[in-house]
Amino acid sequence: MLKVDKLSKSFNGAAGKVIAVDGVSMQVLDGQFVSVVGRSGSGKTTLLSLLGALEKPTSGSIKVGNQDITVLGDRALIKYRAKQIGFIFQSYNLVPNLTALENVMLPMEFAKIPKDQRQPRAEELLNQVGITDDKQLRKPTRLSGGEQQRVAIARALANKPQLILADEPTGNLDSQNGKIIFGLLHQLAKKENTTIIVVTHDLSIAGKTDKTFRIQDGKLASSK
Amino acid sequence: MNVISRGVRNAFRNNIRTLSVVVILGLSIALALSMLLAHQAVNKKIENIKSSEGNTITVSPAGVRGFQGGGNPLTQTQLNGVSNLAHVDTIEESLNDRLTSSDTNLQSSVQLGQLGQRFATNFGGGSGTISGNSSFNPADFTPPVTVLGSNNPTDLANTQGGGTFTLKSGAVFSSTSSDDVALVGTALASKNNLSVGSTFTAYNTTIKVVGIFSSGNDFSNGLLVMPLKTLQTLSSQPGDITSAVVTVDSVSNVNSVTSAVKSKLGSAADVTSSVDQAQTSIDSLNSIKNISVYSLIGAVVAGAVIIFLVMLMIVRERRREIGVFKAIGASNVKIVSQFMVEAVTLTILAAVVGILISLAAADPITRTLVNNSTNSGSTSSVQTPGFGTSGGAGGGGFARLRQQAGTGNGPTFVSSGSGIGRVRNNITNIHAVVSWNIVLYGLGAAILIALVGSGIASWSIAKVRPAEVLRTE
Repeated sequence: MLKVDKLSKSFNGAAGKVIAVDGVSMQVLDGQFVSVVGRSGSGKTTLLSLLGALEKPTSGSIKVGNQDITVLGDRALIKYRAKQIGFIFQSYNLVPNLTALENVMLPMEFAKIPKDQRQPRAEELLNQVGITDDKQLRKPTRLSGGEQQRVAIARALANKPQLILADEPTGNLDSQNGKIIFGLLHQLAKKENTTIIVVTHDLSIAGKTDKTFRIQDGKLASSK
Repeated sequence: MNVISRGVRNAFRNNIRTLSVVVILGLSIALALSMLLAHQAVNKKIENIKSSEGNTITVSPAGVRGFQGGGNPLTQTQLNGVSNLAHVDTIEESLNDRLTSSDTNLQSSVQLGQLGQRFATNFGGGSGTISGNSSFNPADFTPPVTVLGSNNPTDLANTQGGGTFTLKSGAVFSSTSSDDVALVGTALASKNNLSVGSTFTAYNTTIKVVGIFSSGNDFSNGLLVMPLKTLQTLSSQPGDITSAVVTVDSVSNVNSVTSAVKSKLGSAADVTSSVDQAQTSIDSLNSIKNISVYSLIGAVVAGAVIIFLVMLMIVRERRREIGVFKAIGASNVKIVSQFMVEAVTLTILAAVVGILISLAAADPITRTLVNNSTNSGSTSSVQTPGFGTSGGAGGGGFARLRQQAGTGNGPTFVSSGSGIGRVRNNITNIHAVVSWNIVLYGLGAAILIALVGSGIASWSIAKVRPAEVLRTE
């Protein structure tokens, strides 16, 4: 279970102190597919970064299972990100000079998964997301946006993480591809029993998740 | 796929940039290596001079240099006393003489030329051969043949013409020989159709040619070299020595031995050590060495700056990628290592280019440095072949002509082939030889610079929090 308690994050901006996340508390059960919605600049992405241990909160706690990740040291955080978190970005962020297969194998290397297990696992995941045959050996520039996002999803699933954090995963895709990707995420979450938190401003997508949190001015406005 | 293979592949991510970096860095490495090799060559030469040339003392009869001046020759007895002095290793003794047509059937290889005619006109016939009546006509004049009696016939450095003895054919007689044999310079041999086994007449004696040698200059190639004892006997100068070179066991003892020799021989001899002369060579070489050191430092700094800026540029360009790497679990060490491998790959490629360039350029660069140094210095000297070679009245024997003819004072020629000519030889006879230990040191230094440069550049990015990197892009 993911339990967030009074989580805050503030920055010192040019115009003074900016509170991006302001005392957010929430709970997400294992295997739930959750969406976080809100206007641009409301603090959704910052909340996602805090949950993914990409940055430290100003105050509050984030418990994944029984472990409070806000008190972990740098090494433990690296291990946490490598083994328990999967990221999916709006702009895919695949490494351009690696093939689709190599991109999926990359987090496995960081998680120290034995070499002989990496390629079969990566091929299996790519097959699951519909990237098959020679496309697995293509570099990202030779794949469409939808295909790149599929590779990104496979990469996020590589280490069988407890939690997948997706920041506007359909933001760069047309509506048809967006629906396909969303469906894929939903399907994989159920199959792998992985908790998925999706940040989106697409309310039609948000309406199809198990739970939706609405963020407004850094605060949790509602949840349903 | 691991850190190393990713780093190597990243080095070729942008071919144009890779090519540019490799060429620029390669030139920098080539310059650094060339300077390192030049520095090594100059250092080696300095050590060579210190061990072989700074430790000699030249002893001449007082008032005599070559065939100039006047006075009495040194004697074997006097020099035996010198050889017993402490720290004296060896004594190279020689006797100079000239053969006119009345002494030999040989003809000098030296052409009279414009200078010879001028000298002959100014200073009279002398020991050259004048045909016809007693009034001197330069056109009738034939220069004499210079003969050197030596107990070390292969060392021409202390003869009037200097040069390096190279045996072209035959064999060299022993230092203690008293046989009627001779080594003949290539020019003299050619002029008189001599080869090994040929004979000629000198001092009314049949002399057998045992070897033909080359010295690298026209003057010494016209020499006849005979055993010291033979020349002393044939020229009726038993025990006479006109020049001796004392070799001291260490440069540090040269001054004390010089004083001891002066004390031993008193006013009978002019004693000069080669310390000053060696120092002249060393001073010139030191200036070349300094230039090579400054250039080396400049090239190394340029290389370090190039690799640092390139890696800084690459790392900044890949900030987002670094953020993604961190987000998916890469440690700072992995990220920094990957950039280090990339930098080392670029550096090794550049080093290969640099080594190839330096293989071709090191020697020309060294010679250019040396030539620039000697051109701007005062030691450069060009001699007209045959005449006026630093032995002064050597070629045509005009000082002796003057003395014998009693025609008054002539010009003072620069004396001794062991002086300016040797300094010039010391400075110009330098070649940068590529030694692989230097190349490996250079490669090691380049890789170290690459590791440090890329390490600093990538660490500065890797230490930032991934969200910060992802947000700013």
